[in-house]
Amino acid sequence: MTVASALQAPPEHQWDDASVIEQVTAIAQGPLRAAVTQIDHDGHYPREIMAALGEAGALGVHLNRYGGKLGLSIAAMQAASRVCGSTGFLMWSHDVCGIYLEQSANPALTGAVLDNHARAKTLGGTALSNPMKALSGIEPMLFRARKVPGGYRVNGSLPWVSHIGPGQYCGAVAAVERDDGTVSHEILFILHCDERVELRACPQFSGMEGTATWGVRLVDYFVSEADLVADPARPLIARIRGAFILLQTGMALGVAQGSIDSILEVEPMLGHVNQFLSERPDELRGELDELSGRIMALAQTPYDGSRDYLLDVLDARVQGAEFALRAAQSALLHQGARGYLMTSAPQRRIRESHFVAIVTPAIKHLRWEMARLSREELPA
Amino acid sequence: MSAALAEAAAAEIWRKFLCRACGLIYDEELGDPDSGLAPGTRFEDIPDDWECPICGVKKTDFEPYNAREAPPVLSLPVLRHAKPGVVVVGAGVAGWAVAEAVRALSPSTPIMLVTGCTGEVYNKPELSVALARGRTPASLCREAGAAIAGRLGVRLLTDTIAVGISKARRELRTTRGTIAYSHLVLAHGARPASLPSLPASLCWSINHLAAWSGLYKQLADGTKRIAIVGAGMVGCELAEDFARAGHRVTLLDREVAPLAGLLPEPASARVERGLGALGVRFVGQVMVAGVVAGADGGKHITTACGQAFDVDIVVAATGLVTESRLARNAGLAFNQGVAVDPVTLRTSASHIYALGDCISLGGRPCRFIEPIAKQAETIARDILELGHDGYSHAQPVIRLKTKSAPVMLQGVPHPEASWRTIRDDATALVMEQWRGDQLTSRLSV
Repeated sequence: MTVASALQAPPEHQWDDASVIEQVTAIAQGPLRAAVTQIDHDGHYPREIMAALGEAGALGVHLNRYGGKLGLSIAAMQAASRVCGSTGFLMWSHDVCGIYLEQSANPALTGAVLDNHARAKTLGGTALSNPMKALSGIEPMLFRARKVPGGYRVNGSLPWVSHIGPGQYCGAVAAVERDDGTVSHEILFILHCDERVELRACPQFSGMEGTATWGVRLVDYFVSEADLVADPARPLIARIRGAFILLQTGMALGVAQGSIDSILEVEPMLGHVNQFLSERPDELRGELDELSGRIMALAQTPYDGSRDYLLDVLDARVQGAEFALRAAQSALLHQGARGYLMTSAPQRRIRESHFVAIVTPAIKHLRWEMARLSREELPA
Repeated sequence: MSAALAEAAAAEIWRKFLCRACGLIYDEELGDPDSGLAPGTRFEDIPDDWECPICGVKKTDFEPYNAREAPPVLSLPVLRHAKPGVVVVGAGVAGWAVAEAVRALSPSTPIMLVTGCTGEVYNKPELSVALARGRTPASLCREAGAAIAGRLGVRLLTDTIAVGISKARRELRTTRGTIAYSHLVLAHGARPASLPSLPASLCWSINHLAAWSGLYKQLADGTKRIAIVGAGMVGCELAEDFARAGHRVTLLDREVAPLAGLLPEPASARVERGLGALGVRFVGQVMVAGVVAGADGGKHITTACGQAFDVDIVVAATGLVTESRLARNAGLAFNQGVAVDPVTLRTSASHIYALGDCISLGGRPCRFIEPIAKQAETIARDILELGHDGYSHAQPVIRLKTKSAPVMLQGVPHPEASWRTIRDDATALVMEQWRGDQLTSRLSV
């Protein structure tokens, strides 16, 4: 635990578990349900929903200063994703950005900045998709930094970063180059989307609209020491990797649970024929309970850095993605033509479940990583 | 125009460039007419303000594209919707024994073997006597995995790690996908116990052919100084084998003599003398505190009591442990190994069996080759509902392959019970343990 995280938040900032879930559920089933089509079809970025979720504690409870309740945070994400996967993804982006700030032990990032972030008074996401793949050896690092007096100068482009916009921020990683162009190490920093940053509209995605996703281009962007989360970045990334990946399972559980809801919704009308389908709601419910039980147990020790723990997290994340894919597919089959309407929830969840399966770390990346972790080391 | 470019243009060699951000490939031959680049536009001739048509990054974010080498082709593609059958985790002696036993009893039951290695068949006990016998990695391999899989009609999934089990859905999650099973058999063995004082990056553990082959390469060019840490059965056998192959061996152990945890003093003393006659230097009552790499490529060993040893190669022979992660993931009972019913070899979950080095019977692992065939036969009959008398476990006779002092041990010696000397002369030592009027253990050296 860092010095900063040891400083507990004042009592008025403590959120009670039951009321967090109660409020998140009320937000999800009320205003979020009402906005979901607007989010999915018109790309509405639900700032107002995020603000309400932040006030309810849903975006702060995983932080050590608010008790480190990762399980509660996942349950909150699940409750929102059950209604809207895009919002679940925004919550995850926001949650991990909070972890960067808190784990930085940088006084400039851990005080009021962190408190405001935890309550979603300010909004910020994460640009770690490329770095996570780069550090696994899958692709090259896109941001490049050079040391300059007082900080670093960063150049490069990222094709899509979510939960950002003018006036917002995100955690980002750059490879630091020596004078000869070779990479010495990496830095993790908070990137402020101010006038120095070029934000480009992305091409339309098949789903997950409303997530404020932009292309980011940096030209000689200066990172001051006040914005450094970790230098070098790798030890911090290794420390938070389990929490980073485990939190994503909230999206998978929510999309799957929403799919079960959709199946049950048509049971009175279609149950007599739906009985001939596989992946029936009872079966899916059983898997949801089993998987969520394992995830909640893993959420007790998010910073357990052991190989076995990480393998368990990666495995749960893969299973969550596969489960979301199957559940969403099943919901569409159960609803038939109703579910095939462009505005139907099952149809949207098909696209959301695809996102759960491909968002970094994607299923293939997770398996690559599990294979890497399982390889026995032999002397050179 | 650079010379290389001129040459490429003259020969009409078209190059490709990869967008590092989104993966789009710009092919000079095709250009990108949609964004105004005619076919045949050289990368150098693309304006600097041109943007990737997919993600909008600039030309500077492109890099020359050279197709990566294709990953090795799996011996057989995964059939996602294959009819569920028997799925075996592990392709060592135990895994293949189950596959053979099931196939012998049922020509049609689908069988799949999932293994993190290549699936080649070799005899593991041979690894500790292979060097002196002049064996090579190639000659130790009896049959390639693909060949035996073809012969048995088994689907072999190599280089694939089993990571999780869904009992309710009867699915095994692997790094190559999720596989449905009707029956699952765990035969994943045990692995060397890892000790912080013996880092895997510096110390060899000889528990499979791949590790032996790696060590074999390092021993190929002349006499080496080898330290073996752990003077149990494997440590003693390796010490003799390396010494017979001409290497200078130091054998280190916590105990006062080799095999002291298993044998009484007169017997272990004979083993020590036998090894000593071959040039093996035994150093007892030492705890290795650490191993570091030396500048000359050698290894520097330090002990808790302040001794130091400089060698070329360190081999850890400090015992095996069964990994518990997969069993825990599935909620299977685990006690020093996957706990199995001693008669049916079923685990605590229905439709899941285990055998070989990974199991424990009544909390005791049993890591010998001999019982495996019987275990495999029992499991095959149980899976196929053919009726059987059940597995009945008997402690195998231990035969230590140290020719300098061959040890044979029958029964289960009790560490506290006393030994009676039956014979002790120049050619043999025979000792026995008795409980009341019952012979419980007998050894000869």
